[in-house]
Amino acid sequence: MKNKRFNLLLIALVTIVAVWSLWPTWRDYSLTRVLNSYRSAPDSLKFALSHREELENARKKSLKLGLDLRGGMHLVMEVDQIDLFEQKAWNKDAKFTEIMNTVRTKASKSDASVLDLIVAEFKIENIRLSRYFYDIRNSDREIITKLEKESEDALTRAKEIIRNRIDQYGVAEPVITSQGSRKLIIELPGVSDQNRVRNLLKGTAKLEFRLLRDPEVLVRTLDRINTALVQNGAAPPTVVSDSSAKVAALPGVPAEGGHVAPVAPVASAPPAAAQKSTKPLYDVIGVSENGTAYTAEASKEYVLSLFKRSDIQALLPLDAELVLAAKPDVGPNGEKLYTVYLVKKTPELTGGVITEAKATFGSQGVQPEVTMSMNSEGTSKWARITGANIGKRIAIVLDGAVYSAPVVQSKIPGGNSVINGIESLEEAKDLEIVLKAGALPAPVRIMEERTVGPSLGADYIRAGMLSLSWSFLAVSVFMLLYYKKAGIAADIALVLNILVVLSVLAGFSASLSLPGIAGIVLTIGMAVDANVLIYERIREEIDAGKGLTSSIELGYDRAFSSILDSHVTTMVAAFLLYTYGIGPIQGFALTLMIGTAASLFTSIVVTKEIFSFLLGRNLLSEKSFG
Amino acid sequence: MRIFHKTNFNFIGFRKIAYGFSLILLASGLLSLALKGLNYGIDFRGGSEVLIRFEKNIDVSDVRAVLDEAGISGSLKQYGLDRSFLFSTVFNGETNELKALVSNAFNARLRSNPYEIVRIDAVGPSIASDLKWSALKALVASLIAILLYVGIRFEIKFATAGVIAIFHDILSVLGLFSLMGGIFDFMPLEMDQSIIAAFLTIAGYSITDTVVVYDRIRERIRGQKPADYERIFNESMNQTLSRTIITSGTVLLSVFVLFIFAGPAIRGFAFAVFCGILIGTYSSIFVAAPLVYDWLRLSKTPVHLRGSKAA
Repeated sequence: MKNKRFNLLLIALVTIVAVWSLWPTWRDYSLTRVLNSYRSAPDSLKFALSHREELENARKKSLKLGLDLRGGMHLVMEVDQIDLFEQKAWNKDAKFTEIMNTVRTKASKSDASVLDLIVAEFKIENIRLSRYFYDIRNSDREIITKLEKESEDALTRAKEIIRNRIDQYGVAEPVITSQGSRKLIIELPGVSDQNRVRNLLKGTAKLEFRLLRDPEVLVRTLDRINTALVQNGAAPPTVVSDSSAKVAALPGVPAEGGHVAPVAPVASAPPAAAQKSTKPLYDVIGVSENGTAYTAEASKEYVLSLFKRSDIQALLPLDAELVLAAKPDVGPNGEKLYTVYLVKKTPELTGGVITEAKATFGSQGVQPEVTMSMNSEGTSKWARITGANIGKRIAIVLDGAVYSAPVVQSKIPGGNSVINGIESLEEAKDLEIVLKAGALPAPVRIMEERTVGPSLGADYIRAGMLSLSWSFLAVSVFMLLYYKKAGIAADIALVLNILVVLSVLAGFSASLSLPGIAGIVLTIGMAVDANVLIYERIREEIDAGKGLTSSIELGYDRAFSSILDSHVTTMVAAFLLYTYGIGPIQGFALTLMIGTAASLFTSIVVTKEIFSFLLGRNLLSEKSFG
Repeated sequence: MRIFHKTNFNFIGFRKIAYGFSLILLASGLLSLALKGLNYGIDFRGGSEVLIRFEKNIDVSDVRAVLDEAGISGSLKQYGLDRSFLFSTVFNGETNELKALVSNAFNARLRSNPYEIVRIDAVGPSIASDLKWSALKALVASLIAILLYVGIRFEIKFATAGVIAIFHDILSVLGLFSLMGGIFDFMPLEMDQSIIAAFLTIAGYSITDTVVVYDRIRERIRGQKPADYERIFNESMNQTLSRTIITSGTVLLSVFVLFIFAGPAIRGFAFAVFCGILIGTYSSIFVAAPLVYDWLRLSKTPVHLRGSKAA
């Protein structure tokens, strides 16, 4: 008797909690419907304002829809560990660069952790890690532990920075989680300008102020590179033919604007001819009379790949680097030309000192720019640097590309600086966001991207709802036909089961995706299995001539072990799927797990209470089980 | 209503034929796997996919011609049956470039038929191989877990036969995927993450019917002589036949609804689960229980099952 009261209490409790947890979802749905029913905007605004608190509350607690149902972006990004470790190394030499390049090629082909690859490579070369990393007295093991920690920290920082950027950009309910030691999973519902978001997330935002070398040095360096290219024209043939093939293919590919990139005069000789030409470098880089060098858009990729080659880098003056402008200038014939800069490799100052950034319009009021202010340390350094270099040019380099390279007119004491050379205010705003959020510890790459448009999401919702209602209808009607009155009990249990699944999802702010709906549909089919097993057993006991009450008692008792076994196995499989699965599949596994667990309660406890209630009022007979 | 009431089939007697049937099913599946292989989706092979939906009817060859003309290489397939096409190509982290290429091609050459790019997926090769590994891990782990659980609840021979039956079911479905892959426009039957979910669902559910039969055998076999095992197995299976079929039937019903209504994204999954449960029901009667019977017969010792209540 006591047990029975407990069961009834439990059923009431579960029902109340389920309804309570789904109530905001219902309110959200009905309020949104009212909101959309107004014809005029002022009316709906008035309603929204008068019901603001209720709307906000309901929306916050309502069942969330997954990315696939509401449209949005799912990204998996990876922190470039090789770059990170390279940053951590000191007294880097040619050997180190060589080893890291080998690791880079190997890492792109295998799944092994980058650190393992590095350790293996160092072992092959028989060099201790301490030659480049941390203290010379550290053992390899200590260094590995430190580097591991370093990469974990980098991921945590990258996650925070990316979260900052997204928050500032303004995306409702972004989900950012880290996976393993180098991956970030980013879910952005309802993002419309995917391109902008992608650029916002991808940029390292590494800001550097670097001194420019004199124009004569640049000209001399370019000459040296040209001579070297002529001499060993076929020296690294694979690289040249490889990248020139890429460049040759470029003009044929329409650029984003839809037009074919104009081929500038300097690049009119296809770079593919670089091997034969007497001036291979000047086929792709032009030098004007005042000593500025530039390259056309079509040969940009090739030039960048040239700059990255270690044999070319060896020809540069000490502590110098060749970089390109971030934005093209327009040449005399309307072609896009990127300026080539020779800058000092060691930055004078980095973006870490920036405390505030703001997108505004420049003094003429047309050119967007970003003004920045620095902390006290940065301010005093900046004053010293500008004071010592009056008349020289300092390049403002963001993620390896030069935005502007103004001539220092006077000492700047206030810690202010400006980035100009920005195309649109939107871009300036994005720069403001990334500068404020800070630089990523290492570059990140997009490993996986899935974008669902809102119209497909709406289709998915419709398909999901259709499947849910048809499967519920089909299964519940079948139970009624096959088991008559007992079918009603099973159907009530089924309704409660679906309620519990949805309410658990809403309660734990998990989101419902299309695979999640598939999980519920499958649960509908599986949840009644427990009832089928029980009812079949009851029928058997009745056929064996047992009384109704004891048949029901025995039916529940004896069917229990197979019900338990089958539920446990299904849950084990769903749990493993949840553990190893990713994204949408987890949604499926989650609903299947909740549904299976809930059906243990609904199909057994709830139906049994229904039968004992009916038995008590003499509403049940042997015929009630079909 | 009652179907399969008081049946009296000689299941054990049929087992040789069933074994033969299963072997043919598995062999043809494996043969197709070896010769034709599987149709991997981008989850497992890596790559980029663009789903394009047109407003008016258009032939797949026309769309293909436009893309060819624009010089965008890749493969184009009808997706579902509602004027949608799936274009797949090599992986490119910059999906905006791919999107621009495709939209430029259509804007320039198919002005009369408005379209929408409704979905873009790009999966890098390293992610793809991660997914493959975790799928395999999940599958193996679930088989081991089920083996252990059923081993503890019943007995190791029962558990092994049950897991063999699961293996049989999953391999058969895999074989069907290979055999039928790419034949139907409305379901390409590509191996992707959702198919792994289907396999795990099959693994978890396939044992359900088997357990029902085992449970009855356990109940009846207590204290019986090995000579009576054939009769007991047959009777147990006949007595549980109705519930075996009805439980699978309700699940098949819901999965069928999924297949019909849930759209192309779920269709492959629904097909896999449907076939898996169908084969799973067959295998629990014709593979799992007969295997246990043969094993017991050959070992010639009375079986001691856990969980059978001592008299």
